[in-house]
Amino acid sequence: MNPIDRDESAASFTLDLGLKRREALALLGGTALASTGLPALAQAQTKGGVLKVAAPANPSSMDPATGGAGSDHVFLWTVYDTLVDWDYTTLKPVPGMAEWATPDAQSFVLTIKPGITFHDGTPMDAAAVKFNLDRNRNDPRSNLKVDLVNITAIDVTGPLQLKLTMKQPDAALPAILSDRAGMMVSPKAVQTLGNEHDRKPVGAGRWKFVSWADNQKLVVTRNDKYWRAGQPALDGIEMSIIPEMATGLRSVVAGQNHMAYGLSARYSPIASKAKNVTVVTGPTLYCYMLFLNYSRAPLNNPKVRQAINFAINRQLFINATMGGVGEPAAMLLPSTHWGYDKGVAGLYKFDPDRGKKLMAEAGYPNGLDITVGGYTDQDAVRRSEVMIDQLGKIGIRCKYINGTVAEASGQFFGNEKKFDALQAAWTGRPDPSMTYALAFGKGAYYNAGRSEASEELSQLLLDSRIKEDIAYRKQVFAKLQRIVMEQALAVPIAFNFEFDAVANNVKGFKPNLLGKPKFWDVSLAP
Amino acid sequence: MIGRGGIRFLLRRLAQALPVLVFATFVVFSLLKLVPGDIAVTLAGENATDERIAEIRALYGLDRAFLLQYGDWLWKAVHGDLSKSLLSGEPVMTSIVRCLPNTLLIVSIALSVALVVGVPLGMLAASRPRSWIDSGVMSFASLGVAVPNFWLAMLLVSLFALQLNWFPATGSSPFLADPVLSLRHALLPGLALAAGGVAEIARQLRSSLMEILSSQAVRTLHAVGMHPARILWQHGLKNVALNMITVVALLANRLLAATVVVEAVFAVPGMGNLIVNGAILRDFPIVQGVVFAMVLIVISLNLLADMLYRVADPRVT
Amino acid sequence: MTPNDKPSVLDAPPVAAPQRLARLLRWLRSDLAAAASLGLLLALAVLAIGARWIAPFSPIEQDLVNTLADASAAHWLGTDDLGRDVLSRLIHGAPASLYASVLAVSVALLLGVPVGLVAGFLGGWVDDLISRGIDTLLSFPAIVLAIAVTGALGIGLTNGMIAVGIVFAPQLARLVRARTLVVRHELYVDAARCFGASTGRLLWRHVLPNTVQPVIVQVTLLLAGALLAEASLSFLGLGIQPPQPSWGGMLARAYQNMELAPSQMLAPGLAILFTALAFNALGEALRVALDPTMRRL
Repeated sequence: MNPIDRDESAASFTLDLGLKRREALALLGGTALASTGLPALAQAQTKGGVLKVAAPANPSSMDPATGGAGSDHVFLWTVYDTLVDWDYTTLKPVPGMAEWATPDAQSFVLTIKPGITFHDGTPMDAAAVKFNLDRNRNDPRSNLKVDLVNITAIDVTGPLQLKLTMKQPDAALPAILSDRAGMMVSPKAVQTLGNEHDRKPVGAGRWKFVSWADNQKLVVTRNDKYWRAGQPALDGIEMSIIPEMATGLRSVVAGQNHMAYGLSARYSPIASKAKNVTVVTGPTLYCYMLFLNYSRAPLNNPKVRQAINFAINRQLFINATMGGVGEPAAMLLPSTHWGYDKGVAGLYKFDPDRGKKLMAEAGYPNGLDITVGGYTDQDAVRRSEVMIDQLGKIGIRCKYINGTVAEASGQFFGNEKKFDALQAAWTGRPDPSMTYALAFGKGAYYNAGRSEASEELSQLLLDSRIKEDIAYRKQVFAKLQRIVMEQALAVPIAFNFEFDAVANNVKGFKPNLLGKPKFWDVSLAP
Repeated sequence: MIGRGGIRFLLRRLAQALPVLVFATFVVFSLLKLVPGDIAVTLAGENATDERIAEIRALYGLDRAFLLQYGDWLWKAVHGDLSKSLLSGEPVMTSIVRCLPNTLLIVSIALSVALVVGVPLGMLAASRPRSWIDSGVMSFASLGVAVPNFWLAMLLVSLFALQLNWFPATGSSPFLADPVLSLRHALLPGLALAAGGVAEIARQLRSSLMEILSSQAVRTLHAVGMHPARILWQHGLKNVALNMITVVALLANRLLAATVVVEAVFAVPGMGNLIVNGAILRDFPIVQGVVFAMVLIVISLNLLADMLYRVADPRVT
Repeated sequence: MTPNDKPSVLDAPPVAAPQRLARLLRWLRSDLAAAASLGLLLALAVLAIGARWIAPFSPIEQDLVNTLADASAAHWLGTDDLGRDVLSRLIHGAPASLYASVLAVSVALLLGVPVGLVAGFLGGWVDDLISRGIDTLLSFPAIVLAIAVTGALGIGLTNGMIAVGIVFAPQLARLVRARTLVVRHELYVDAARCFGASTGRLLWRHVLPNTVQPVIVQVTLLLAGALLAEASLSFLGLGIQPPQPSWGGMLARAYQNMELAPSQMLAPGLAILFTALAFNALGEALRVALDPTMRRL
């Protein structure tokens, strides 16, 4: 069966993949399945049952402060609750375990909801939150220092209230507190277990930690004292670690697991053949892109960078390398995100002729040779082959130097500054200002050249964090993204869609824009 | 059997094995240290900054002198502590204990199949030299040696697992919990590895049998009227046994090394996968530990073979 | 004397060149397998050199609307997952694979033969040290060596095959050492030494030529092994770099698409199989031809 149809429109692609109509709609709007956004408690949930999940990666650590992998979150969200939650479709922050307010420019006040306890019985109060935030800021093993760098002091102002003194206002702080930095750990557990807490987590979430056999299975069980009455529906969750996507999918088809997440859309023909399995999909922040070192030749020439953006046929890239499922990227945010700006979207339609013209204007009428770092897995290799082909058509000859993820990214972003470009992906951050600051800020790690693109950009990066007002921030991001894309500081290619295979008796599972599944509202029909 | 001479022999071989162990782990350590790529970048995760990466290096002692790091590891290893994985914190010994049975099961199946199929084939070919049976067996042997074992693995998965659904396509299952399921998982990978083994054993057995059958002593006995089977038993078996011990030992070593790619195709969480992932991520303790374990296994296998050799022929020193 | 007390080709008188050629042709005519394998290998060499003119399409030309197509008049073996012609990629994979095998075996020869000669000839503590080193390398998981070497030198076909050559060298060294141990006690070596020949001259003119015969056989087997090793390395992503085709790389891609298009794995797998078969058959035939005792059986 030839899954790719000759008609290049996204709609017929998805339908020809053999997807059911419902799923096809979901791909086009991202909203059909993830309907209201906020977790819908309206539908009747059957209590009970243990959800068996096939997970594609082993957690690096079950402690939110010491781990570093984006694949950890799915595990972490079973045992931890966060101070701030978000809307599943747009990622707009909403109160979680705490509410927040910014009475003045230098303060950030957190009011914690009453009656929350950790799994070991200790109270989840202001003192516990202070312990956590101080730990995240100061512990040598904490990877979260840079997230909380704007906080200068933390004061407990009441049993359930905290005041954070800010160096400068930080509108990204709520979103930051919806992620690792906001996952609250029991202070008593950390003090008694020390480093062992990495492997024996104690949080305040819906389920309690039971066991973790490395690279095999992680088991959690219901937290009877969970602070939100009536939750969770599931008695427990067993997460089997199956790195091979095909194996994970087959385990669901065979009935050994209830769901497998993080699959590639390439497996849709198999998933759609199985009668007992539904495909759940939705947009995510995960963006395949080319990182550029724009602080030195030849990519310091904006015309060359713009030419690259014109040379890529993003839809064809999606068809060839992503099983036809994905969204062409016009900027570093997908269309469903609250910060997306339609005005920037039309800048780079596929136009290789214009690309060639720009190359000539840039002073490279006979083409240009660049080195690109890439990864060695087959999917990455396939993506690089498509890039070589498409860029080759406007005269840019790419020499790929592949290596492992640690090697290639370390060599590009680290001190070696090895390649002109890196073909990789941006996994997305809870707050868009973090994305733009980390990728294009002066001195930021993911800005390979470490240089300042323009004063205006640096100022906008600061502006994006001073006021929390969503309308104001949307304006700032619109300007920010226009600068980034007009200058073509990077080449975003396509947003990956989350692709999960779910057994028919699993109810209430909704994908979220962050692309890291939460099982908070899942129940199992008998 | 294990007299004073035997014990001295054992001790001497163990003494020879020690430098090999140290040398092997040292070579691996230096190779991985001297190449670019650093686990600190992976450990820093999504919030990486230049400072954080340097901090992590200092935290895990990755910026200390090269010999110091190796010496530290060696000291702990000698005391039975193989350290912890830098990435997950799981003790290396636990990882090895978890992964080794999966690899051993596959290798055992491969070796058993190789013997069960290869020995009769070799004997058959030797009993009818230059016949079409002989040519058939030899051609089959050539095929077995030339086939890429992961390609064979792919074919087996495609046919028996995906199309016919007789066996699971990937993964493994703990042996003690459910031996039958465990065997079902390990059968296809074992078969993929066995092809080369069958060929090797059949070929070696055939040639050593034929050499014996044509020797002067045997021909005389045959001329005198002794039954061929009795001749084989009294005169042939010892020499054949010696030869086959060597062949099987070599084969076992080769199979251990060859499981890596087969494990990749079948997604079996075995030693091969463990060490490849460790090497790619520069997770030193894991790679050191696995090399240590594998060298130990190989040395033990060789030692076992040598001991069997001595039993079969005490003249060997 | 020689431990087996059988006449060996070592004692045969030297043969002049035209007689050698006639012998070669006579051998080929008698041994069908050898002739067939030699023929296949020659054909492969021709394909390798003339790939650019023989292949119907460019191996890297993509056609993203015509992916995973079945065999047709235009594409005799169909297209792969990026619409590239499988037959052309197969043909262009031949020079890569042949280059890979030859490189690996050359490295193995360069490293293994001198080491084996020295160990076997000098004996004593030198032999002990070298033998321990060989044992170490032999008990090593080869793939780790390949990962480490390609990590140090960079991933690519050349560096990967250098690693494979390093892995194969101990086998050759051990073989050469065993032969040397036997040969160094031969009368003619003692005779040469009596006449004042230096160690180097002894090794080069007397010992080395007499170790050639088993080495030749082993080389053909190693060529097959190197081919399979290249396939394995490419399968793991450590071998040839895209978009250049190699048979192992094609297999790796076919594995990914195993459920969508299982037939993709047939062509490259069979190519590897037949080439390795040819190398092995040649080696087997050479072994029989060069050892007169076997002919009687």
